[in-house]
Amino acid sequence: MENEVTLKIKNTVPPAFRRGKGDLLFDVINVSLFALFSLVCIFPFYYLFINTISDNDLVGKGLVNFYPIGVNISNYLALRDVSDLGKSFIVTIGRTILGTALMVAASGMAGYLVTKRKLWHRSLWYRFLVITMYFNAGLIPWYLNMVMLGLTNNFWAYIIPGVIAPYNIILVKTYIESIPKELEESAIMDGAGTLMIFRKIIWPLSKPILATIAIFGAVGNWNSFQDSLILMQSSPELYTLQHRLYVYLKSASNLEAIMQGGSGVSQALTNSLNSKVVKYTISMASIMPILLVYPFMQRFFVKGIMLGAVKG
Amino acid sequence: MTKEQAVKRIKTLIGPEEIVYWFFRALLIFASVMMLFPAFNPGRISLKISQYASLFTTGIDFAGITGNLGRAFNLGWVQKGSFILLTASAILIIIGTIACAVGGCMSLGNRKMRMLGLWFPMGGSLFMLIGLGGIYLAYRQVAETEYASRIEPNFSNGFYVYAVVSLLILIIATALRLALRGKEAEEKMRMDERYSLFLMFLPIIALAFVFAYLPLWGWRYAFFDYTVGGTLSRETFVGFKWFRFLFQNSATMNDIARVMRNTLVMSGLGLLTSWLPMTFAIMLNEIRSNRFKRFVQTFTTIPNFISWVLIYAIALAIFSTDGFLNGLINMLPFGPESQVNWLMNPDYTWIKMLLWGTWKGVGWSAIIYIAAIAGIDPQLYEAATIDGAGRFGRIWHIIIPSLLPTYFVLLLMSIAGILSNGMEQYLVFSNALNRGSIEVLDLYVYNIGITDGRIPLSTVVGMAKSLVSVALLFIANRTSKALRGENII
Repeated sequence: MENEVTLKIKNTVPPAFRRGKGDLLFDVINVSLFALFSLVCIFPFYYLFINTISDNDLVGKGLVNFYPIGVNISNYLALRDVSDLGKSFIVTIGRTILGTALMVAASGMAGYLVTKRKLWHRSLWYRFLVITMYFNAGLIPWYLNMVMLGLTNNFWAYIIPGVIAPYNIILVKTYIESIPKELEESAIMDGAGTLMIFRKIIWPLSKPILATIAIFGAVGNWNSFQDSLILMQSSPELYTLQHRLYVYLKSASNLEAIMQGGSGVSQALTNSLNSKVVKYTISMASIMPILLVYPFMQRFFVKGIMLGAVKG
Repeated sequence: MTKEQAVKRIKTLIGPEEIVYWFFRALLIFASVMMLFPAFNPGRISLKISQYASLFTTGIDFAGITGNLGRAFNLGWVQKGSFILLTASAILIIIGTIACAVGGCMSLGNRKMRMLGLWFPMGGSLFMLIGLGGIYLAYRQVAETEYASRIEPNFSNGFYVYAVVSLLILIIATALRLALRGKEAEEKMRMDERYSLFLMFLPIIALAFVFAYLPLWGWRYAFFDYTVGGTLSRETFVGFKWFRFLFQNSATMNDIARVMRNTLVMSGLGLLTSWLPMTFAIMLNEIRSNRFKRFVQTFTTIPNFISWVLIYAIALAIFSTDGFLNGLINMLPFGPESQVNWLMNPDYTWIKMLLWGTWKGVGWSAIIYIAAIAGIDPQLYEAATIDGAGRFGRIWHIIIPSLLPTYFVLLLMSIAGILSNGMEQYLVFSNALNRGSIEVLDLYVYNIGITDGRIPLSTVVGMAKSLVSVALLFIANRTSKALRGENII
């Protein structure tokens, strides 16, 4: 199904119509505008990147603007010496893997169960979940609730609340409803139980949608900032990467001192660091994983967003 | 359902056994939930233990529980053993509660399963009682130490609640077991599929309840004089004081007016530019090179996946004093007059925020329209071409009308969300200079609630926001239903 949608998009060449001079002008302007906007979207990343691999003195003077000068990767190697950064990396990777895995498993199971007509008070529970998307108690009651549950300054605060994602459950449910019922019915005839059917039939068949929500979930976890900001106030060792970065970006502290301190004299001589470069490098290191998985994500876009348009 | 079946069903539903069972299940659910509520924690044997610690926390987080007691341990005011006993007892109660919950689940099965299932609450409630005994012992030990006053021993009311609940469970379970003894039961344990499916779904319901519904209980803070670490009691109850405060205190009133202005302006700008993604999609559709289309789509959706913090980092790289833009200006022949810090500059904050939002989101938001355009029947184009429509005729008469329903739904949704701008973008871009014009409602709630610790006031603001948002959503839905005959939620 998802292939159909993508294929359709690829093959939408507008049918022929009368073209005049005005159309040509339109095309030129149109293509230029899109080219320009694409450039505006991608250039900042490129700019950041070339500044992290160039000669730091030139970067400090603002002379690296369009292409790298004096290419080296010493800045990235120096990141090893920013100790808090490593912790944040580990915390973020941990929550991304664990949080995404649990969310996908729960969404898969929940999405499947709400398609079962026999479920006791099915529509009631389904609404119970859907309402949470449109209504929430507000930031402070949510925070106090987390305090009450002992989920502050605690790694599990990143994981447990994220397990239930109503929107993803709706996506999975919509997808599973499109799977022919006969498959499930024949399995029931063969005596398979609910869990067996889920494992052997539903799970493999709904892999495309599960992959979609996994990608979105992983990106969300990687980018998570707000929960860390609010819930980890007295546990800097549990800051997520984005929170750590936020602290670095906003503080005027001497980051370069931290980095220079551990990296030895030789390196300091070859490529002296400054706070600008340090900020750029850490930012680039945080963006990199997203850019790396981005090509894989792309093919899930349309399906995810189209299914999302189908309301539950 | 035949009449006989219906009668049978009713009999099983309202038979005396069933009535007792429903009460029993309610009790077991209560027992499971109260484990999470600090108010019911029997294990707060010392006021040095956080008032936020539930029994569950007491059982799993020894370090957290004894966090304030390090000095007491070091100076020998109290034995660590007492608190180890406390934790062990809490673990016993947790295990007991879990056993009770298992029994409650099994009570949904046939009689054979129920009869087996009753052993769990019986054993579980015994565990709970033993655990309570342990907590009582720990309390005695703490209360009887020489330096008791420094530990501030405390006998929590939760203890009585727990004692009553676990005794009730024990009694009812035993009574049910005795009543069921000797009655005929099925050969095999079975459970109706309706219930077995429900039990599989139960963890999801429970999590949604805990994280999405339980916070509503926090609305009570709006009616108390409360600061973090304080207590809710009759003395601190202030009724609607904070609601009145909101309208009577002129400083707060000014804040609210300013924040509402920012919120509405930002959302309004968002609404005014909400046609941009649609235009983006239509224009992109006019490009004939598929490779160029894909190229554009790839590059313009990237910013959507970058967090606001990283976008701020990018803004820093481009617009700060030593950023790209100033570097570029430096290279110009007429030379730099002065270096401008575009980022800190408080001018045009609203427009800047709008531009950042557009930069991040427009390519992504366009996807839904691109897909909608792909779904248009090609015959329509052919018909239009035969009728002599050029490019703009096609756009105007075919593409736009077929996109409008989608646009309409999204527009209504964003009107419903007019108060919810989110706080991340505005938090990362805020600084001392632009604070006045960047603080939107969500950020304001964060600032007064989390940063300033004015819990009741921020709860009131949050409450008002939630209620207005829900009202807006309903109005939007009604509008959609009246105009298009379709719900949007």
